[in-house]
Amino acid sequence: MEMTIQIKINQMTIAVSEGQFVLEVARNAGFDIPSLCHHDAVEPIGACRICLVEQKIGHESVLTTACNLVVQEGMEIFTDSAEIRAHRAANLELLLARAPGSKKLRELASKYGINEPRHPPIQDNYPKDCILCELCVRVCSNLGHKALAVLGRGDRKRIGLPFNQPSETCVGCGSCRSVCPTDCIFMRDTPETRTIWGKTHRFVTCKQCSAPIMTYEHRAFAVANNGLGEDYYDVCESCKQVAASRRFASVVW
Amino acid sequence: MSANPANKLQPADDLPRLSGDVVLSASREPVAHTAKVLAINPRNCTGCRTCEVTCSFVHSTAGRLGRSHIRIHPQGNDRFVQITCLQCSNAACASVCPMQALSREPATGAIIVDPNRCVGCALCEAACPFGHMHFDGESRKAIKCDLCAGNPACAHFCPHKALEWR
Amino acid sequence: MVVIKNAEHLEDWRTELLVKTTSHRKSISVCTGTGCMALGSHKILEALRAEIEHHNLDAEVELRPTGCHGFCERGPLVLLRPGNILYQRVQPGDIAEIISKSVMSDEIIDRLLVTSEDGKEKYPTESDIPFYRHQQRLILKNNGLINPNSLEDYIQNGGYRAFGKALQMGAERVLDQIIRSGLRGRGGGGFPTGKKWEICRSTKERERYLICNADEGDPGAFMDRSVLEGNPHCVIEGMLIGALVIGAQVGFVYVRQEYPLAVERLNHALTQARNCGLLGKDIFTSGLNFDIQVHRGGGAFVCGEESALIASIEGRRGVPRKRPPYPAVSGLWGRPTNINNVETWANIPPIVDQGSDWYASIGTESSRGTKIFSLVGKVNNTGLVEVPMGMSLRSIVYDIGGGIRNHKKLKAVQTGGPSGGCLPEEKLDIPVDFDTLVREGAMMGSGGMIVMDEDTCMVDVARYFLRFLKSESCGNCTSCRDGLIVLHQLLTDITEGRGNQQTLQTIQNLAATIRATSLCALGRTSVNPVLSTLRYFYNEYLEHTQNKRCPAGVCKALIHYSIDPDLCNGCTLCVKHCPSKAIEGQKKQVHTIDSELCIKCNACRDVCKQHAVSVQ
Repeated sequence: MEMTIQIKINQMTIAVSEGQFVLEVARNAGFDIPSLCHHDAVEPIGACRICLVEQKIGHESVLTTACNLVVQEGMEIFTDSAEIRAHRAANLELLLARAPGSKKLRELASKYGINEPRHPPIQDNYPKDCILCELCVRVCSNLGHKALAVLGRGDRKRIGLPFNQPSETCVGCGSCRSVCPTDCIFMRDTPETRTIWGKTHRFVTCKQCSAPIMTYEHRAFAVANNGLGEDYYDVCESCKQVAASRRFASVVW
Repeated sequence: MSANPANKLQPADDLPRLSGDVVLSASREPVAHTAKVLAINPRNCTGCRTCEVTCSFVHSTAGRLGRSHIRIHPQGNDRFVQITCLQCSNAACASVCPMQALSREPATGAIIVDPNRCVGCALCEAACPFGHMHFDGESRKAIKCDLCAGNPACAHFCPHKALEWR
Repeated sequence: MVVIKNAEHLEDWRTELLVKTTSHRKSISVCTGTGCMALGSHKILEALRAEIEHHNLDAEVELRPTGCHGFCERGPLVLLRPGNILYQRVQPGDIAEIISKSVMSDEIIDRLLVTSEDGKEKYPTESDIPFYRHQQRLILKNNGLINPNSLEDYIQNGGYRAFGKALQMGAERVLDQIIRSGLRGRGGGGFPTGKKWEICRSTKERERYLICNADEGDPGAFMDRSVLEGNPHCVIEGMLIGALVIGAQVGFVYVRQEYPLAVERLNHALTQARNCGLLGKDIFTSGLNFDIQVHRGGGAFVCGEESALIASIEGRRGVPRKRPPYPAVSGLWGRPTNINNVETWANIPPIVDQGSDWYASIGTESSRGTKIFSLVGKVNNTGLVEVPMGMSLRSIVYDIGGGIRNHKKLKAVQTGGPSGGCLPEEKLDIPVDFDTLVREGAMMGSGGMIVMDEDTCMVDVARYFLRFLKSESCGNCTSCRDGLIVLHQLLTDITEGRGNQQTLQTIQNLAATIRATSLCALGRTSVNPVLSTLRYFYNEYLEHTQNKRCPAGVCKALIHYSIDPDLCNGCTLCVKHCPSKAIEGQKKQVHTIDSELCIKCNACRDVCKQHAVSVQ
């Protein structure tokens, strides 16, 4: 990557490349900017409004989100000021009304002095504690499944299955749950099955020890799209290690 | 994403290669720009598990012991084999990752996980032919041996030179 | 149908059409805008047609269904020419008389004329009526003259002449005219149109798009609808000129779902334009290729925001994205896209036709030209008004609007749609232009203007607009989505008597965060209704929070109804109308209201002829 642009973050000059986002650049430079809806693997949308920074334009400065702010030559950014902290706190307080049960959110909010949120919880939020950051939707779509969707708008915005119909494309990989910042997506595993988004998937089990490996749908999708044959996915992690160690031993002794 | 024939590999192909006096090179084909490899000599291994403990300590987060990326597998009474990531040159984990979160670090030759890109789909874990990719339930991301950024602690602390960074 | 080959050919056709129309002795225009249609203007049209046939007047009388005349309050409207005699509230029963008296001879029917409020003065012609007299109808004037379904009518009235001129002038000189005219975007942002065109034009990409934003979502605003319904060709002509300057090949008109008539007439006009060689390949043998597609919205207010609108056309969720890059650089499918509002496009042909100097002479220094407002609420004359920029609010409300209904006192004027602001009586003399309105805490918006009288509770008004905005937010940003939900809840608390000083403080802080940290203009301005009412009507908030009183008598939790025993004559009318049987009283005896049962529906107060019911 060619570092062709110079920007200033908190008075420090940093060389960056075209097309980079301020959040990425600032974090690489060691500045701590909190965020909830950001993930490097997907396009930023600036939903949570927590990664606020101040951008100086002429004599004025405007508040903007760092995650979707593209670097520009000569840009001046401040990542921490009383104003930024106050607005971050206000937005965190709003999010707490939506997700009062999220531990991660409560911890972050208390860093900003919000220990007893004033706003009453927002009713009928489903999934419970969902902050509508759309990370699950964006990741699912990037993975190629497009099983999740944003439904409605405004105060009726929800995350869910398109048209509230059982999903035909969900493979039960659980990535949505992995990336969820408030851990609000329900998933239940048994030795044979995984239940997520109202659908129960059967596990491919290890042909040696019967431990679950991945869902059948996930394997079918991976075989069709990710370049490895089905035989890659029929033995579990532990059994593969044991097999490798035996093979190794047979070569050594 | 279509299947890339170059990424198509068979487990038998990718087996550890022997070199010299039963020392195993971590890379099947040495990566051109790395000077050193993690050399494993099971004959010296006494099964003391120092490597496992060290790895856990090095990869601990927030005061919690991490999962060891190296494992001792006893073979009979007094033989032990250390199993860790081979940093395959044509790595199955990296080839299946739908988010391109796995890449080779030029300096060390290690395949590393970019935790900011990993979405925790656990496909790499299922795909690794040797069982070296793990899914961390706490962070919900893939974790693996990263050769400790060029100074593998396991090798450093191995009392019997059963693991060497050379 | 004629295929127009070039500008001279167009002029020849125009002359031909003009000769044809002067053969008519009389012309009758009937408004067929949505407002008059709802009041039954199609019946009037049918009756007129039958009556003309009956008297065998086909050759000398021309009957024209036209677009909205603006005076929707008094519909259905019938305009007779020559003479510009305007008849209001015409009923099918009046038709025979109109034909026999006003068409066959030149008699004016007094009964159908617009009168002053006291009924003393009668205004025979359109230009006598105060509602029209104080307006300057640059864009709207053709609405009453032409049949929106007739390309010939548009051409007769000078249609596509500007486009012919533009072709002769060449793109650069036209752009120069637009820049020098000082035209600013009429959709609400007020960005200089010429500048926008220049940016789009100077991009490297060769594929460019034009968009006409007709997603008019403000409650109570219908300027764009009226232009599209009444004069669709002027928008097409504006876009043609835009295509020439910007070098676009495809244009889109994004019309909201709720405007079926506008879509129908626009599609009809587009077909006509295509058939006549005004759209398509090699237009006027100039080498210009341009066509327009109609895209219907799905009913989301936020899709009026340009980047959300673009997403919607692309088939994605209507969510605004961060700018820059602006659409002029990277818009529809990543290509440079020039997006303007209906009214902006409609302003283009007159500017090119009559020159930038003429245009710049209208309006104020920073805001040139005219602006269409939809004047609604508690004024006597509601409807569409077009005034030069810089006219005072007082002029609009009193001279054009005819003052407040039922001789009540004016309390506030709300401008700029739901995210606009409420201006009080003492701000009535400010000139209406982009910058002054913003400075005073309101905004131009797309031109909604709601007049409120003394019976309006400003806290309730703010709450009403927030309810609209919280359900029409796209829901992307925490601050706007959840902030508005909480803000609405806090205002509800106040109107229900649970508010205190702390509530007001929380509202202020929250509003500041929503304004500072939301992504799009919609989110950032969504708190205007609260902030402007707090700024100008703070005492009213205090009355609610401190004294638990609603001075306007609107907030149900804070009011109670009672009957004045001195005024009540015991007519039992209120007893009969009370839906909750809360009023007790025998004939000829004073009635009383049981406040336990009263649901505060105001029915008793509405029906009482003695004005004996009062609200505290």
